[in-house]
Amino acid sequence: MNTFFFFVLTTITILMLVYFYRVVRGPSVFDRVLGLNGISTKAIVLLVLIGTMFERVDMFVDISTGYALLNLVGALAIAKFLEERGESPK
Amino acid sequence: MRFFAAFALFVLWLVLSASYNVLHMATGAVVASMVVWLSPTAAPHLRQFSWWAALMYVPWLIVRILKSGFHVSRLILDPALPIAPELIQHKTKLSSDGELVVLGNSITLTPGTITVEVAPGELIVHALDAPSCVELKSGLFDERVGRLFSVKEDQK
Amino acid sequence: MTWLAIFLIVLGLFFLVVGSIGMLRLPDVFSRAHALSLTDSLGAVLVLAGLAVYEGFSMNFLRILVVLVLVYLLNPVISHATIRAAYRSGLRPTNKESK
Repeated sequence: MNTFFFFVLTTITILMLVYFYRVVRGPSVFDRVLGLNGISTKAIVLLVLIGTMFERVDMFVDISTGYALLNLVGALAIAKFLEERGESPK
Repeated sequence: MRFFAAFALFVLWLVLSASYNVLHMATGAVVASMVVWLSPTAAPHLRQFSWWAALMYVPWLIVRILKSGFHVSRLILDPALPIAPELIQHKTKLSSDGELVVLGNSITLTPGTITVEVAPGELIVHALDAPSCVELKSGLFDERVGRLFSVKEDQK
Repeated sequence: MTWLAIFLIVLGLFFLVVGSIGMLRLPDVFSRAHALSLTDSLGAVLVLAGLAVYEGFSMNFLRILVVLVLVYLLNPVISHATIRAAYRSGLRPTNKESK
C-alpha cells in the first residue's frame, strides 16, 4: 500500500509542475492566480497523503486545514486587489 | 437556536482537537459559548432552512457533479477540443442571500459552469458548452435550490 | 475496504490529470477555470475521500471529512472571486465564432 501511496504522491507532484508552468507562462495575471489556486488545492491533498504514509494523519490534517483557510484568505485578497487595479499595464 | 450553534462549534472543536482531557474539553466548551455569545444575532430569517431537503439535495448534487465531470473530461481529452464557451444571463426567482450563495456555489462546483457575477435575481454564468448548461437553463437547478428554503408561514 | 479506497484514489487521480491537461490546452482564463473546478470538486475530493475510507471509521476519518468539506465550500468561492475580478477588469471569453 505504501508503494501505491508513493506513486500517487509522485503523480500529484508532477501535476503541480504543470500548474507551475501556467503560473510562469500565463498570459494574464488571472491565469497565474488560478494556477496558484490549483497548486494549493493539490498541496492540501498532498499533506493528508503524506500523513497517511507516515501514519500521523492526526497531525497533518491540522496543517492542511490551516493551509486551506489561509489559502482562502490569500486568494480572496489577491482577487480583491486585482479587481480594484485591473490588469497590469505592461 | 443559539444553543444549537454553540453545540455544533463544540463538536467541531472535539473533532479537531482529538484530546479528551477535562481541561481541553472545558476550554472547548468555554470558547464555543464565548464565540456564540460575542457574535451578533443574525437578522430575523424570513425563510426557513429545511434539513430534509438539504439531505436530498447533496446526493443529487454529487451525482450531477460526477456526470458533468465525465462530460467535461471527454471534452478536454478530445483531440479536436470541441468547446463552445458562452456567457449566459440567467434570470432567477431566488433573491435572498442564502439561496444565492447555495445556487452560485453549486453552479461553480459543477464542472462546465461557473458563476461570474451575482446580483439578486440575476446571475451571469460562463458555460463551457451547450450540454453542460441544459439543466441550468431549464430551471431545474433553481427549483432544487428553492426547495431548500421555504417561506415561514408566521412571518410571511 | 482497501480496494474501495484504491478505486476512489485512482478515479480522483484521473480527474487531477485531466484537469492539468485542460489547464494546458484550454484557450482563455474562463475556460481554464472549468479545468480548475474539475480538479477541485472531483479530483481532490475523491482522493481525500479515498484516504478517509482507507483510515477506516475513526477520529481521523471525521477530521479528513472536515478538510473535505472545507475544500468543497471554499474552492468555489476562490475561483468565483478570481473569475469575477477577471470579468470586471475587462477580460471577455473568446467565442469560437469570433476567432
